[in-house]
Amino acid sequence: MELEDIREKILNIADTAIKYARDLNIPTAEAFVYNSFETSLEENKGKVDSRDGIVQGVGIRVAVGKRVGFSSCTGFSEKSIKEALEKAHAIAKASPENPLFESFVSESKQSKDGILDSEILYLTPEKLADKVSELLYQVDKNDQRITGLAVNADKVVRGYAIGTTEGCLVSTLTTVFGGSAYAVVMKEGDRKTASEFVISRKNEDISELGKKAVAKGFQHLGSKPFNATEELPIILHPYTSSAFLSVPFIQSLSGAAYVEKRNPLGNKLDKKIADERFNLIDSGQIPESQSTVAIDGEGSPVGETQIIEKGILKTFLYDRMYAKAANTETTANASRGGMMGGIPFESIPSVSPRKLIVEPVQKNLEEQIAEIDKGIYIEETPIGLFTANVITGDFSITSNNAFLIEKGELAFPLRSVSIAGNYFKVFESFISIGNDLIQSPWPLNAPSISLEDLTISG
Amino acid sequence: MKTIDEDIFDLLHKAVNKGLELGANFVEARYDDMSLMTVNLLNERIREASTKLRKGFGIMAYFDGSPGFSFTPERNWESIHTTVENAVKIAKATAPRNKVKMEFERQKPIVDKQFTEVKKHPKNMEFNEKLSMLKRGVKAIEEKIQPSSTTGLYGELFGDKYFVNSEESEIFWQPLIVDLRIQAISMAEGKRANGIDGVGSSLGLELFDKEEYLPETIGSNAGKYCKEQSEAKAIKAGKQKALIGWRLGGVLAHESFGHLSESDFVVTGMSPLSDKIGEVLGTEMTTIIDEGTIPRETNGLWLPYDDQGIKTDKTVLLEKGILKGYLHNRGTAKKMNAEPTGNSRAITFMYPPIPRMKNTYFAPGDLSLEEALEQLKDGFYAVSSSGGQVGLDGNFLFNCNRGYWVENGEIKYAVRDSSLSGNILELIKHVQGVTKDFNIMTGYFGGCGKSGQFPLPVGLGGAELLVDEVLVGGAK
Repeated sequence: MELEDIREKILNIADTAIKYARDLNIPTAEAFVYNSFETSLEENKGKVDSRDGIVQGVGIRVAVGKRVGFSSCTGFSEKSIKEALEKAHAIAKASPENPLFESFVSESKQSKDGILDSEILYLTPEKLADKVSELLYQVDKNDQRITGLAVNADKVVRGYAIGTTEGCLVSTLTTVFGGSAYAVVMKEGDRKTASEFVISRKNEDISELGKKAVAKGFQHLGSKPFNATEELPIILHPYTSSAFLSVPFIQSLSGAAYVEKRNPLGNKLDKKIADERFNLIDSGQIPESQSTVAIDGEGSPVGETQIIEKGILKTFLYDRMYAKAANTETTANASRGGMMGGIPFESIPSVSPRKLIVEPVQKNLEEQIAEIDKGIYIEETPIGLFTANVITGDFSITSNNAFLIEKGELAFPLRSVSIAGNYFKVFESFISIGNDLIQSPWPLNAPSISLEDLTISG
Repeated sequence: MKTIDEDIFDLLHKAVNKGLELGANFVEARYDDMSLMTVNLLNERIREASTKLRKGFGIMAYFDGSPGFSFTPERNWESIHTTVENAVKIAKATAPRNKVKMEFERQKPIVDKQFTEVKKHPKNMEFNEKLSMLKRGVKAIEEKIQPSSTTGLYGELFGDKYFVNSEESEIFWQPLIVDLRIQAISMAEGKRANGIDGVGSSLGLELFDKEEYLPETIGSNAGKYCKEQSEAKAIKAGKQKALIGWRLGGVLAHESFGHLSESDFVVTGMSPLSDKIGEVLGTEMTTIIDEGTIPRETNGLWLPYDDQGIKTDKTVLLEKGILKGYLHNRGTAKKMNAEPTGNSRAITFMYPPIPRMKNTYFAPGDLSLEEALEQLKDGFYAVSSSGGQVGLDGNFLFNCNRGYWVENGEIKYAVRDSSLSGNILELIKHVQGVTKDFNIMTGYFGGCGKSGQFPLPVGLGGAELLVDEVLVGGAK
């Protein structure tokens, strides 16, 4: 099977599902047809696990006037799809009206798919096992400091098509390859972890990931306690800043939450919430990004939205229903499955970012470190990020992978340190926003950043 | 209605035989026919009313101790045949690399067909009845507070599970969970307060006919907790004495200790509990259990078999402070010279079973709640949590969304958003007393996440724990 055969198949099922809806006298319906070839292989201390299969199913929304029901089924059989149509219809008829609901998409308009690599389709468990072998071959087996190394490789070839009784029939395809290595290293009772990964829409070489993760871990060995509580500047590696800056924005950019008066930034629209150098966009059209799609989860063509411009919050993200309620246009941010990773065809559309991007400004990591007299550099994603209070902005995180910076240089690795602060203050207190933007596995891509005094203790 | 689709068993036997024919040493074949429903009522508008039908086959083949997994939603022999071929192919391809062989002892076949019989099975109840429970619950909030926003959540999961393996085991059972939650948010004077209450169980809707779980009771509690939060005071940050309520204690037992005792982490040496059987880790008061079939009436998760066809047991993880066991699948049990514990679970037919928890809890002690508060004297009564984070080294940080300051053994006032943090292996050294009350909860919402398999229903809870020291993070 080729990539274009997959597209034809899902478009065909979406079209057929809509025909079934007409056969069953269902007035208006939307079929979300999902097909995902998934193969993964992980190896941890000689224990190998692998999974291979096709996740496929159909999510059906039925509207009777403003009454809406949803049902889904696994597989593409006529019997299952008709059962889901009937269930969704029954729920719609029994539900009270949803005053916000207007209609399903009626036009067949789509943007561009991201990069597609048909090679990924042919990555069998055997080929993934070969990639993992090459990776492990490059790691020194006799090095006693390496106490754990978990590695994995996986591929996904995913496509979805949307059909509606109003006449929309559109589709999008994605190919993703990922690999990672997570190393645990130890010396004289000092235990450190470090990770390296690759995530791409193309098949990539991952043979050096293990070697790199281990080397990174070694740099953190011989760590010393901080033994103080001080207000110091911190510098975040681009991967760390991407994770760190994802947290406040995951929940607070939803136009649905804004309409429902649950959005923590709800009263900040058109107000300054960050430093003038801070620009944030959401894009679903970067060819290299794994979250790029031609259409969103309800069939609208995907584009790009400027969210924060020169520090001012310009808009929230919307799907059709909530855009209408907020008297604006959809930003094509309807997603299926959302951030928590639910099965897409089992999920009603919800609003979430495609890929948030912090506009790079100037200076790379080294240049930023060189400017700090005394501070902390954080290399790996700290723990506790997701316990931040998005309402007050307060956060308290712990890093086991930090270095002390002295006179513009990395002095030595630190034992566990905690960093406390407030996101709203952070947005106002960038020392630098770097120029080294990366593709991260988080919902947000950022360059390295330097932040003014935060409370460091350890 | 007691019906078993015998055609499914025929297909599963055929799949197992095909796998053996293709060279596998052992094959497990399962079929799920599950039905799920979610109703989300936000500010009295239906935000979501949905059902999910999940039907399909999952095939696990073993070759030379190496597992291979594949799956298909299609109920026809051609698809199942391809799926079996894939599973065997993966097992054979990974076998030469696999150093940790998951071979296991053969057992006598288990032939068991269990039907779930409850008074008000959700499949027999009208949608409107479920919606009306949510409306009743949300309405009751107003008895206590004028909320700025309300949410009512109803969830149900039920269906049939079929299992066959090369030992000729033939198992059929019927999972069931219902769950109702009511949440109130108040924004009076710009101050945000949140109150939530709810209950889930492996019972039918008769659960919500009990006085304590009437939608009105749940809604009124949510209103009450919200009001308490709106008037709550900040707690001083730092090390405190605390009574950890069963809801938060259950989260600790599960998230922190339970995950560390999952045998896949243990067998690779990643868990700090590796090689520690027999060691004293906690005080004599501390016993942690993971159990499969707790009576439905206590709101535990009813889980008679795991997804390797093993009858679930009562696994003692920690007994009077001493580490006694781990949570096994068949392979890790053999590897570590233990008995399988029935902890090999998969979230759907689309995933392989991996070591997961059942109902995890702190076993009860001998204190009444009054005695526990008296012993606490001055300290923090941390009742429940809405989330947090844990590390594989035992470190945890949980927020506390409901808690009270206790003075002289009496509850004085509600404490605003706070957190408990530390390391579970430290915390169990500080348990000074345990209450005799025993509570457990399961649910449709939330659940456990591991290796991309989220949300898996589990049960958690137990007794309340008196600790002489835990790090409390206060609101600023």
